[in-house]
Amino acid sequence: MIYINWVVALAAILFTVGAIGVMFRRNPLIMFMASEMMWNAAALVFIAYAREFHDMNGQVMAFLIMGTAAAEVGIGLAIIVSVYHKRHRLDIDEISRMKG
Amino acid sequence: MSATSTMLPEYVILGTLLIAMLGIMVSRAHSTLPSWIGLLGTIGGLWATADLWSRHLKPVLLFNQSLSVDNYSLFVDFLVMIAAGSTILLGWQGEREHDEFPVLVLLSALGMMTLGMSANLITLFLGVEILSLPLYILAASHRDPLGGEAGLKYFLLGAFSSGILLFGLALIYGATGSMTFTDFATAVSSNSPILAAGLMLALVGILFKLAIVPFHMWVPDVYEGSPDAVTSFMAFGTKVGAAVILLRFLAYGFYLSPDAWGPLLGYLALLTMIVGNLVALTQTNLKRLFGYSGIGHAGFLLIGVAVHSVVGARAMLFYLLPYGLAVIGAFAIITMISNGEKNVTIHDLEGLAHKKPWAAALFIVFMLSFAGIPLTGGFIGKFYLLQAALFAHQPGLAVGLVVGTFLGLGAYLRPLQAMFRHESNEQALAGWNVNWAQIVVLVVAVVGTIGLGVYPTPVVHMVNQSANFFWLH
Repeated sequence: MIYINWVVALAAILFTVGAIGVMFRRNPLIMFMASEMMWNAAALVFIAYAREFHDMNGQVMAFLIMGTAAAEVGIGLAIIVSVYHKRHRLDIDEISRMKG
Repeated sequence: MSATSTMLPEYVILGTLLIAMLGIMVSRAHSTLPSWIGLLGTIGGLWATADLWSRHLKPVLLFNQSLSVDNYSLFVDFLVMIAAGSTILLGWQGEREHDEFPVLVLLSALGMMTLGMSANLITLFLGVEILSLPLYILAASHRDPLGGEAGLKYFLLGAFSSGILLFGLALIYGATGSMTFTDFATAVSSNSPILAAGLMLALVGILFKLAIVPFHMWVPDVYEGSPDAVTSFMAFGTKVGAAVILLRFLAYGFYLSPDAWGPLLGYLALLTMIVGNLVALTQTNLKRLFGYSGIGHAGFLLIGVAVHSVVGARAMLFYLLPYGLAVIGAFAIITMISNGEKNVTIHDLEGLAHKKPWAAALFIVFMLSFAGIPLTGGFIGKFYLLQAALFAHQPGLAVGLVVGTFLGLGAYLRPLQAMFRHESNEQALAGWNVNWAQIVVLVVAVVGTIGLGVYPTPVVHMVNQSANFFWLH
């Protein structure tokens, strides 16, 4: 028997790891991967509570999160590749030229 | 009423979007056909919205209470149609090399319209994503390094903020057992820690999109690197979408516990008004200046949410219109100067008053509307917000609004001062270029701005009807 609180705690840990990854890593690919981890932590919470409540809404939401994340990957990787083509470096501090 | 007839504006936009895609396939590259289809579609959407409005429908809940079509959502449709139409017109020449431009603009507009109707967590999330995903592409669509940088920054911070929003929504679902906004207030006692954490995370996610200090750092860079027409769409459309969903989410879901979020939003509004307008004072790049002034205006909008009253809701809805009209007008002038090539700085405006007095006069009107000078729409909007703050016994917000307005006035007077300076810069206005599409946007913007300032009654009446949703918990 898995208690719902354990699952939510696991999701909270995943979410925190993802948030720390976005804030402290400097490679856009890794930052993007970390933010996907935050999305998946949220999907885990939705599924866990959907099972707890015997309610389909949470599962529907998890599917929608997966679909949206796939669309986001397509756009995100295209942008990252196009930036890499121009600079041949992937470091968010070096890419950044606009200041002020 | 069936879903087809009550959601006619959305279906018109969806259909237009698909036809515009077909138009791209059948026409040769760089043709104006997709833009014409998009423009006709927004006019059709506007007509459908006006038709629905004139029938005085009762509010309708569709698709298992996930969408709520009422006067509020119709007013949002109206604002979004203006934003999308003006964006397609402003990008008529500069964005011609990107055939998919009108399609992406319409898709993003569809997301904003979804946010206006949203009544549960699923449509909230989908609306935010449909709004954001096309904008990431549009922000990165210029092939210079700044465009890529803008797109990358917007994308990474957008994905991050959506993650925060999503985790907040998941916790709210866990605490209440429901996806529908109206169930949140009654489902559980409001001092559940999971519900409080979920509300805070969801608010952070929405405030990121609305660009409230301290979640504003992406705005200036993204505005600077994006194409001019796209920047005007972000400044108007994204603000509309984020502000209306924030208002509906809090007014439907958390109306029983305004003490949990009202003061917090009040302090953030105060901070945003002051910081946004203060930093705008030091900017020389016009798009960065509008970025920071947009942050300041987001602070003004947040007053309407923070006071949690029907007067505040009306004031916020009204303020979106004069702000948006001034944005599209100012960006029409910017596209004339930049010709889609370079970033316009304050020095590029030098001598505008001597060489192009009409353009200078219109620019002055828009700047004064931003600043809130009487006889422009911005003044009426600020007046209603001030009234809302005072009715709610929040003198701090009222004082912050006045201080922010004065700081903003200083920021907007600097480009005006540059316009009247005699030109020392030979390159100024070298790329001056006017086409009919920019003239149309300018006429709509200036008529709307002055009209709202002189005779705001019809729009005030519309806004009052829209804000009636506030009582329909």
